[in-house]
Amino acid sequence: MKILTYIKIGLTVIVIVLLIVGFFWLKNLTKNDHIDFGPDEEIGITPTQIQSIKAIGEWEFLSVSAEELVDTTRRRLIMKDELARIYYGTLRLGVDMHQVNPGWIKASGDSITMTLPAISLLDKDFIDEARTKPFYESGSWTATDREALYKKAYRMMTQHCLTKENLQAAEANGQEQFTNMLQSMGYKHVKVTFQK
Amino acid sequence: MRKYVLFTCAIAVVLGLLFCHSRIVHEDAEAPAPVVQGIDTVPMLVTQVQKCAKLYTAEYRVHKIITHDDVLRLKGSVLQRDFNIKVPLGDRKIAIPMDAKLKAYIDFSQFSEKNIERQGDKITILLPDPKVTMTSSKIDQKNVRQYVALTRANFSDAELANYQQQGRAAIIADIPRLGILETAQANAAKVLVPMLKEMGYEEKNITVAFRKQYGANDILQLIRDEE
Repeated sequence: MKILTYIKIGLTVIVIVLLIVGFFWLKNLTKNDHIDFGPDEEIGITPTQIQSIKAIGEWEFLSVSAEELVDTTRRRLIMKDELARIYYGTLRLGVDMHQVNPGWIKASGDSITMTLPAISLLDKDFIDEARTKPFYESGSWTATDREALYKKAYRMMTQHCLTKENLQAAEANGQEQFTNMLQSMGYKHVKVTFQK
Repeated sequence: MRKYVLFTCAIAVVLGLLFCHSRIVHEDAEAPAPVVQGIDTVPMLVTQVQKCAKLYTAEYRVHKIITHDDVLRLKGSVLQRDFNIKVPLGDRKIAIPMDAKLKAYIDFSQFSEKNIERQGDKITILLPDPKVTMTSSKIDQKNVRQYVALTRANFSDAELANYQQQGRAAIIADIPRLGILETAQANAAKVLVPMLKEMGYEEKNITVAFRKQYGANDILQLIRDEE
């Protein structure tokens, strides 16, 4: 009877030890276990293709960096969809040297007169659309809606930045910069004017 | 009698609780309403005006297609065995074509007598280092193509903006391989030499020079990202 009791106790101890060892073995085996569920985040990119190379001669005298918050709404039966984005752009004001008239520089001795083309917007593409920040979106919006927002941002930036004051500031700075440059080239009497 | 007392006490407790609750609700109602910070939907404008004297001499138009293959995946590790399973009917794909304009320029704001050497009829102009900047970028919205499985939501505006910003960064990273600085150096002479000829110098006496010939390693310091 005593032996049977010892066997029972022994077996119980062995089972307990096995359970403890099994627990720690399983714990060690599963310590790095994890399950993730989600989409891939990385993008694929094709090589950058050069579409054109152009020799230009644009003097920039004033740069106007702008950011515009543009939004649009669309009413549905009971709800309202909204899309708001922040667009960034830089309008560059200056002169295009390819538009100078013949005889635009008249130099004699230590005097020089320079007639530059009228100050204008150097490049009509000034919005950096890839920098656009999303601000708010509810509902579903198409590429056409985004194109319309881009055009709206373009109009607003042109309206706010292409002002008479900025054009005058660009002209004044251009005059100053060219005067300094020509004086550093040795001309004492410098006159810089712009076509109207 | 005892039951009656207990019943009365219970009613008193319930009424007391109700009174306290209504009081709390009432006090909450009387409390001044918190000031709600409204979102101004009126278009906001921030501008930064900067005087400068930059001569842009080279313009590159570049094109890139950003693609994103958004596959839902169940991945992980069980009993030290890794697994990565594609979830069926969970695909989303998008291709975003974009165009960008890169321009190289020479900054004349620090130009002075130190940049000019004159020896008799000869003139040498030592130009500052050329720099490169992305002046504009445009997403070809009409040609954006996407496929969204029935079980998935459409691409959100935030996701699209994220992909576009990654594409923009990739174009900037590609600038050293485009050879724009060499073009800018060559074109600078095309602008300045006619100007100096008009001033009375003969073409053979004009030298337009740069500090050095720029390589792919230099250009990393010469890229100006406006972000």
